[in-house]
Amino acid sequence: MSITPVLAGLLNLGVVLLISPFYMTVVKKVKARAQRREGPPLLQGYYTIAKLFRKEVVYSDYASFISRIAPYATLAILLVAALLVPVIWIPEITVAEGNIIVFLYLLAFTRFLLALLGLDAGSTFGGMGSSREMSLSAVIEPTTVVVFAAMAYVAGTLAIPEMFRHATTIIPGMSPTILLLSVSLFILIIVETGRIPVDNPETHLELTMIHEGMLLDTSGRNLALFELSHAVKQTLLMTLLINMLIPFGIVQEVSVLGLALATVLFLLKGTALSIVIGIVESSFAKMRFFRVPNLFMMAFFFSVLTIFSEVML
Amino acid sequence: MNRISGNNIGVITEDSQSGMTLSLRESWLFKEDQTARYYRLPLHDPVPVIRAMKGEGKNLILFFGVEDFEDLPGCSLLYVFEEPGSPGFVVLIPEGRGAIHQSVAGIFPIASLFEREIADGFGVSFTGSFDTRRLFLHEAYPPGFHPLRRSIPNTAPVQDTFDKPGKPYEFRSIEGSAVFQVPVGPVHAGIIEPGHFRFSVIGETIVNLEIRLGFLHRGVEKLAEGRSPDDGVRIAESISGDESAGNACGLSMALEQISGTQISPRAEHLRGVILELERAYSLLSDLAGMVTDIAHPVSASRLMVLRERLQQEADRICGSRFLKGSICPGGISERITRESLDHLFKTAGGIEHELDEIATWVLSIPSVIDRFATTGVVQPELIRSLALSGPVARASGSFADTRIDHPYGIYQERVPGQVCEQGGDVMARFSLKYQEIRASLRYIQELLVFTPDGPAIVPVQMHDGFALVATESPRGMALHWVYIKNGVIHRYKVRTASFCNWYAIERAVIGNIVADFPVINKSLNLSYAGTDL
Repeated sequence: MSITPVLAGLLNLGVVLLISPFYMTVVKKVKARAQRREGPPLLQGYYTIAKLFRKEVVYSDYASFISRIAPYATLAILLVAALLVPVIWIPEITVAEGNIIVFLYLLAFTRFLLALLGLDAGSTFGGMGSSREMSLSAVIEPTTVVVFAAMAYVAGTLAIPEMFRHATTIIPGMSPTILLLSVSLFILIIVETGRIPVDNPETHLELTMIHEGMLLDTSGRNLALFELSHAVKQTLLMTLLINMLIPFGIVQEVSVLGLALATVLFLLKGTALSIVIGIVESSFAKMRFFRVPNLFMMAFFFSVLTIFSEVML
Repeated sequence: MNRISGNNIGVITEDSQSGMTLSLRESWLFKEDQTARYYRLPLHDPVPVIRAMKGEGKNLILFFGVEDFEDLPGCSLLYVFEEPGSPGFVVLIPEGRGAIHQSVAGIFPIASLFEREIADGFGVSFTGSFDTRRLFLHEAYPPGFHPLRRSIPNTAPVQDTFDKPGKPYEFRSIEGSAVFQVPVGPVHAGIIEPGHFRFSVIGETIVNLEIRLGFLHRGVEKLAEGRSPDDGVRIAESISGDESAGNACGLSMALEQISGTQISPRAEHLRGVILELERAYSLLSDLAGMVTDIAHPVSASRLMVLRERLQQEADRICGSRFLKGSICPGGISERITRESLDHLFKTAGGIEHELDEIATWVLSIPSVIDRFATTGVVQPELIRSLALSGPVARASGSFADTRIDHPYGIYQERVPGQVCEQGGDVMARFSLKYQEIRASLRYIQELLVFTPDGPAIVPVQMHDGFALVATESPRGMALHWVYIKNGVIHRYKVRTASFCNWYAIERAVIGNIVADFPVINKSLNLSYAGTDL
């Protein structure tokens, strides 16, 4: 067995972990600037996580083992998912096959853990957050399946690395199906990471929270792990979009220079995408909770259109 | 404790037994002044008279107790009525009949709150009331403690009962297999004032809400007792930060009325400027709060910039961003300069222009309209039974505005722009508040043009007496009643608009979803501090 896949996997994990808090901060910065505020420094994401790691963890009196293992389990699962999505380097033989259905259910598993965590502390808002998250995910999941199905159909494979490899053969912006698919993937990022208009990551209003509601009783190191998990999840979904739409620069033949260049390019592309996310978040008000499925319908529609146009063209 | 029905405040009770009606006799007239006529009822039972008042279209807006009032022994109760179309108020004082009174909550639902307040403060009990729970005295206070009695010393309460709290407060409950109770507060996730909200929900839909306040109770009314009138104004100013000028003005006018002081035209004009400035910046933060709560911070920050600029004007005028110290008995602060007013004139024009642009933009964003429209409707029927006032009432089709219905100060001379909206939803309140800010900024500019020269303040020769004054604070009608005896405040009663308006929320949220509660609450933006006196 070659050492390459292991190296590639470790490199992938490292890049994802290191870069994720940065993208989160970029989105915050863009939103702050839209509100004519200075916003946080670009490294704030790292400072916050470092600060939280040093803080004490407080558990609710009602908390079971779920509260203790969920933070670690969530991050671990997302790191496994990160192994399936090559960020800067698609080696010949990958460490995992990168099946997109496995990826989808790894994400669903973290959602399940989070919902349990929300209920575990025995507080009202956690329960409310979990209930909302579960009702939404019942609607999100079919849409996500269709979006991923469209991706698989376009690329002709279920393996994520192979999809990216396929995408490199297409001139960016020249394939209508990839463009349509990007719209669905973008909506998926907004929905899965709990951003406006679905959820408001910055709110202090406990009654409107979805994602934050489930984390209300989490503190210290555990909160840091969730913040990091959330950032990693966002980066993974962003990677799917970036490497499908604009994969140029991604390394297939390994070289140090190539990897460095690919990292810089990914950083730039990710920053650009984060800016777009920030602008989109700033231009809408949050939707009424029961209107949120309309947004999924758009993603659903674009995915179906992708499949159709792929069949017709 | 009485059985509490789920069907309580806000239902207009039709009384079937209105066989006997009694109207007021002029021989009962006890005192008449600029703002009110006081009647003493030498009757065994004042309830038929009060029922007759309702039949005549008068509405109970305030009801409170006073100990040792004039020559009356014990605790006298004063029922204050507003008469449509008449600038004066009618005050009924049933002559003392001991500590048991008949409840009028069946006639005027809002009376239930006043009765609970009086019961807490004076230990007066009411027969036939549907809600006898404590209001502002929470569990930690021992039974039999009634702080507004004059026998209770005017000092901080002794905290010896914290380890043995009394009977827990019973919330109205709705029971059923899918109904869940959601307790929220008094400690919230954000930095806001404390209040407890008890929701009964089915899924996301709210089927009942009960609000419990009093966590900020500071004993303002008791604190004012025995103080000099000038100190009283400083206390009134601290009731609620964003209504400080309004409350200071209310009490100052009451003191001027008692002493028969006529303030200078310059002071009248500048009081108008100060009050409208306060209205403009308070309502601007309401608008910002509404868009923040639907997660549209981009527009909120632009509105907050405008508010900040107005507060800087306030600071420039009187040295306080919340206009504290700007209004005092006899006139206004002497430090207000011509230059600061000229600066305000320019800023007001600029802000009016910018506000138009922002409001037009916000109200053209579909996602904002979608969240605002049809959310949290306050039914117009509630206005009378809950004595609602201010933007809450005006957004539900009412024209009620104290500045026009009961003109005072400069408003007697120059009528402010009147605004009304139909619909009663968050959307109506948003556009109403926007138009009110605009009208206030216009009015400020108009007053500044016509402000004459003259003394800022005239001396007030205080003597004993009592007076009732109603002002229109940014949140609605605020009532101040002060009784001066032996040169000091004997009793000071305040009813801010928030006290009554809070209960509009309990009704407005029903049928809405929990996630919409914050924006409904913010669209009324009532004061906790202004209620927890």
